[in-house]
Amino acid sequence: MKDFEYFAPKTVEEVLSLLSQHKEEAKIIAGGQSMLVVMRQGLLAPEYVVDIKGITALDYINYDEREGLRIGALTTHQAIEKSQLIQKHFRVLSEMERNLATIQTRNWGTIGGNLCHGDPAGDPALVLIALDAKLKLKSLSRERIVAMEGFSKDMLEVDLEPDEMLVEIQVPTPRRHTGVAHEKLMVMQGDAGIVGAAVSLTLKPGDGVCEDARVVVSNAASVPLRVKEAEKRLIGKVINDHLLTEAGEIASAEADPPSDVHASSEYRKEMVKVFVKRVALKALERAKEG
Amino acid sequence: MAGKRQGKAKPTVMLKEEGYSVIGKPIPRVDARAKVTGEAKYAADIEVADMLWGAIKRSPHPHARILNIDKSKAERLPGVKAIITGKDFGGFKWGWSRETRDEEPLASTKVRYLYEGVAAVAAIDEDIAQEACDLIEVEYEPLAGVFDPFEAMKKGAPLVHEDRPGNLCVEYHWNFGDVEKAFSESYLVREDTFQTPRMAKGYIEPPAIVAYWTDGSHLTVHAAKGSPYFPYRILSNCFNLPLSNVRIIQPFIGSDFGGTKNDMVNGDFSAPMLAKKSGKPVKIVYTQFDELTTCLRRHPMWVTIKTGMTKDGKLKAIQTKVISDGGAYTRMSPLSNFLTGISMALPYKLPHFKTDVFCYFTNNPSSAAMRGHGIYHTRFAGDVQMDMIAEELGIDPVEMRLRNAIENPKQGKIYETINKLHLATCGVKECIEKAANEIRWEEEKKRERVKGDKAYGIGFACGTYLSGTKLSGHNACAAMVRICEDGSVSYITGATDVGQGSDTVTCAMVAEVLGIGLEDIDIKRVDTAHTPVDPGTYGSRVTVLAGEAAINAAKDAKRMLLEVAAKEFGVKPEEMDIKNKKAFVRTNPGMSIPWARLVRMACYTTPGMVIIGRGQSSRGISTYGLADFTTGIGDIGTNYSFTAQAQEVEVDLETGVVKCTDNSVIAHDCGFPLNPPAVDTQVVGGAYHPGVGAALYCEFKMDKGLTLNPNLVDYKLPRAYEAPMTKVIHVITNDPFGPFGAKEASEGSTCTAPPAVINAIHDATGVWIKDLPAKPEKVFWALKKKRELEQKKK
Amino acid sequence: MKGEPRELKIKVNGMLYELKVKPNVLLSDVLRKDLKLTGTKRGCLESTCGVCTVILDGKAVRSCSILALQANGHEVTTIEGLAQGNKLHPIQQAFIDHGAIECGFCIPGRVMVAKALLDENPHPTREEVRLAMQGVLCADVGYVKQIEAVEIAAEKMRGGE
Repeated sequence: MKDFEYFAPKTVEEVLSLLSQHKEEAKIIAGGQSMLVVMRQGLLAPEYVVDIKGITALDYINYDEREGLRIGALTTHQAIEKSQLIQKHFRVLSEMERNLATIQTRNWGTIGGNLCHGDPAGDPALVLIALDAKLKLKSLSRERIVAMEGFSKDMLEVDLEPDEMLVEIQVPTPRRHTGVAHEKLMVMQGDAGIVGAAVSLTLKPGDGVCEDARVVVSNAASVPLRVKEAEKRLIGKVINDHLLTEAGEIASAEADPPSDVHASSEYRKEMVKVFVKRVALKALERAKEG
Repeated sequence: MAGKRQGKAKPTVMLKEEGYSVIGKPIPRVDARAKVTGEAKYAADIEVADMLWGAIKRSPHPHARILNIDKSKAERLPGVKAIITGKDFGGFKWGWSRETRDEEPLASTKVRYLYEGVAAVAAIDEDIAQEACDLIEVEYEPLAGVFDPFEAMKKGAPLVHEDRPGNLCVEYHWNFGDVEKAFSESYLVREDTFQTPRMAKGYIEPPAIVAYWTDGSHLTVHAAKGSPYFPYRILSNCFNLPLSNVRIIQPFIGSDFGGTKNDMVNGDFSAPMLAKKSGKPVKIVYTQFDELTTCLRRHPMWVTIKTGMTKDGKLKAIQTKVISDGGAYTRMSPLSNFLTGISMALPYKLPHFKTDVFCYFTNNPSSAAMRGHGIYHTRFAGDVQMDMIAEELGIDPVEMRLRNAIENPKQGKIYETINKLHLATCGVKECIEKAANEIRWEEEKKRERVKGDKAYGIGFACGTYLSGTKLSGHNACAAMVRICEDGSVSYITGATDVGQGSDTVTCAMVAEVLGIGLEDIDIKRVDTAHTPVDPGTYGSRVTVLAGEAAINAAKDAKRMLLEVAAKEFGVKPEEMDIKNKKAFVRTNPGMSIPWARLVRMACYTTPGMVIIGRGQSSRGISTYGLADFTTGIGDIGTNYSFTAQAQEVEVDLETGVVKCTDNSVIAHDCGFPLNPPAVDTQVVGGAYHPGVGAALYCEFKMDKGLTLNPNLVDYKLPRAYEAPMTKVIHVITNDPFGPFGAKEASEGSTCTAPPAVINAIHDATGVWIKDLPAKPEKVFWALKKKRELEQKKK
Repeated sequence: MKGEPRELKIKVNGMLYELKVKPNVLLSDVLRKDLKLTGTKRGCLESTCGVCTVILDGKAVRSCSILALQANGHEVTTIEGLAQGNKLHPIQQAFIDHGAIECGFCIPGRVMVAKALLDENPHPTREEVRLAMQGVLCADVGYVKQIEAVEIAAEKMRGGE
């Protein structure tokens, strides 16, 4: 690994100051598990490495029924998985984390680090889009809130300025009769999904008509893909098996997945059908539970 | 097949009537404590004073001429102490056998696979060594290449080796009986082509070496080598040193599986040469990337198998054509490809057999041995096709196997195959019965296969593996047993334990023969300055052959002691024995002397003795004569193990994802399980890692010589979550040619797992996956095709 | 300054160390080269095989994927820190007694994952044991004996026989 200058700031302000100073030449390291690999391979050689792992102020999970869920960017995957609070109010996040990689990755890696990496196969982004989450980004000069959807601009590229840092993930409390589910196609437990789907369905109490739907697919494009056409198919109707199949097919038609060593584009398109349907079914069951 | 005894084989002495004191029971591994506390040192853990780190400069082309190497920039980098290129080796070439010396330590004129080493640097730390490598400028003339056997065999194809026309590395053509006539007389003849994947060995410890010279003519090497006596000879040739000046010291080894660690890599030559040039010790540790892109792989093979069967499901003839990808250099392709045919006549009775085997050079990393070496490819084809035929004939697959299984020869009799393999024991029938019974085959085959969107099926397969490989040349194998003056015992061996547990089992054999406890034995591992020669771990030979040497050495030491004891009691040595640490007269056990006292007596009476028992194994290279590679006739093993496996799978009918369930049984005939828990682990691991790995998960994807998945996320090694909790059943046949009746354990299950899984997928879904691995996408398209065909029929 | 060695204060197996390390040095390098604790193995260096796993502040992590300086002020336990003199930790003893060790290369990392699991969750389900073991690759054993050994150790640690 090439030499670099190393900083271990203790506050967010210090980090922002360093980023403002060094901009593109500086790279933040949190868990660093993906970053260190590419640095060792020589594909990334920043002049300045800003180690933010020690900023305990960004390690928190707070919940308030009105405000919703607030997760500090440096919260580990494992903390999210095991959080009683999250298991109670945002079960899908805990389930997603449980299936993410292996225990060592979950213990050290952070949700913020994962989101900023911008992997189109990434699970957290997928589920957070389904949950209509927002991200708080900070620089010395400003603070902005962006929708999770749209944060990923391209493969491994996110909407983050060189002097900005992700500090918080905000998840609104879901409306009543909302069910959210996530599943991905794994060959082995912990795999990045060959494809994955996260679906949120909100039903009207009484007649059970679908009031709102969010359907998001991973590894089906260069960024997590929200399939609005599939959502439209479901909204305003009482969801049945036939509609779910159609939603899957629409999502599949929208998808433009990559071909790689794990699967071809054609197979991924087929799997989008399967997973949108499976996950939507699960979300529907949960929505019905209330 | 009528059996007739041949040769002068003398069975090992059987002690089973009296019961064993040490072997046959769970034996805790002698090295377990060192490993579980972190004390065990592997090659990469070795540190020597003043040590430099080495790195290899690798070619960016899969096939190219080397025009020029400019080291000047690299030499100027502070911290660099030595740089070498292929030319430094003076044209030296090496190979697995004398006839196949086609590979250089570092390429000097031409590179033949991507990332082949062309230069190496020693520097004060790893980063500087790597940086220096990047500064070495190499001018290449890229050449057109061939990247699979089908390209390689084309007329006018670029040649990987100019002196090897047609890119043919090795070919075999064997013919036993009359297959054409047998086919014409068969009720059913069927031909299918199967494909096995290009696989990594899968061990987690990458190759590593530390080398240094004590003076200009004495070389010491610590390296992760499963067969240390190979580098011992090769380095002696390379550096023109007498053998006794080459000291290979074996650290603990993180597995081998038959290639790379018992063969040489660029680093194994570079470290000693850099050490010579720099005057300092040099350490080279490969990364997993190096391992996955440059080290030896299991041959991918295309097996076309044609089988003739009678109406009642008995084999009449098999004809195979095997095409394999040998990669850039010969290495041990002659053996790997020879093995594809040698035991086709096991485990089922086979009257006619013909095979044509072609192995081609390609501009890919070299292929070599891996667990289930050679045999697994054709056994996979054979045992899946057997199920296909069973389905056509309407015969139950287990019943079919029982009808064809070779019977266990009666005691004293030998079964001889058409190509003159000799079996004193063959427990396959009992294995089949026990496995089928345990999995409740008769009930299970009646059950509903589909449950919602999942389908469940059980597959059955049988396998065999040679044990105690018999080859010509360097198969000499010896051991020494030194009895120290206080009665403790040093067991000095040239054999290596790469994790299979051979150290433990051979120590146990020594203890059993001497009549003392395992705790009294201390193993002295390979240090070629002091330990006797042994070919190491490959060919499933250590337990059987090094074991025999250990037993003979122990007997020799015992004889010396009993001579002293006998004198004391005024009897003949043959009238005495040692058990429970007491030497006693057999007919009058009251006349006895404790072990420690006897040893002291022997050592201190005038003139004191030095008790060193010496033993060799003769089985590796004699008994029935060597196998003839040209004709395929003759024993390749001292004896042969047999296995039957039943494996259930769950298939997700919507995605094609296949999982092994815990409903998994392997019945294994290893003759006599010397250390039953170790046999269990070996059998289970042998089935899962290389077996289920091949069936479901593992394959290198290549693009013109470039490995597209050179990391352990994209190349999937089998993991814990998916591992079936396989139950192992021991079938005991007490083979007279193995130590205490033993035969190899576990390579048989490497051969049964792939066909069992594929047969299970068929049982669950009706689809046949003939090219491994059965990845979800493959299964998905096969299921889709089947549904479409069924729709059409309607 | 680029590449300038920085102070690293780290507790390893109960002992406090004060070292000076360059920023680009990995935690596994400090453990293996500076502290000579070679029990923690060097495997893939790519965060995939898990043989470098140690326990950092009670959690199993991959030491090849952590800069040494990120462990500044933290507590690390390696395989060498498990046994109390001659007395092995129950997990170590279970691995030996149950025959769960073959080549041994994955064992230090695996035992550390098991220890972190059982310290946090003394009553894991088989599923949870499998999930924990998923992070350390083996090539020999087939995992069965290792999963069982962890379960046996868990029972022992809970006071059972």
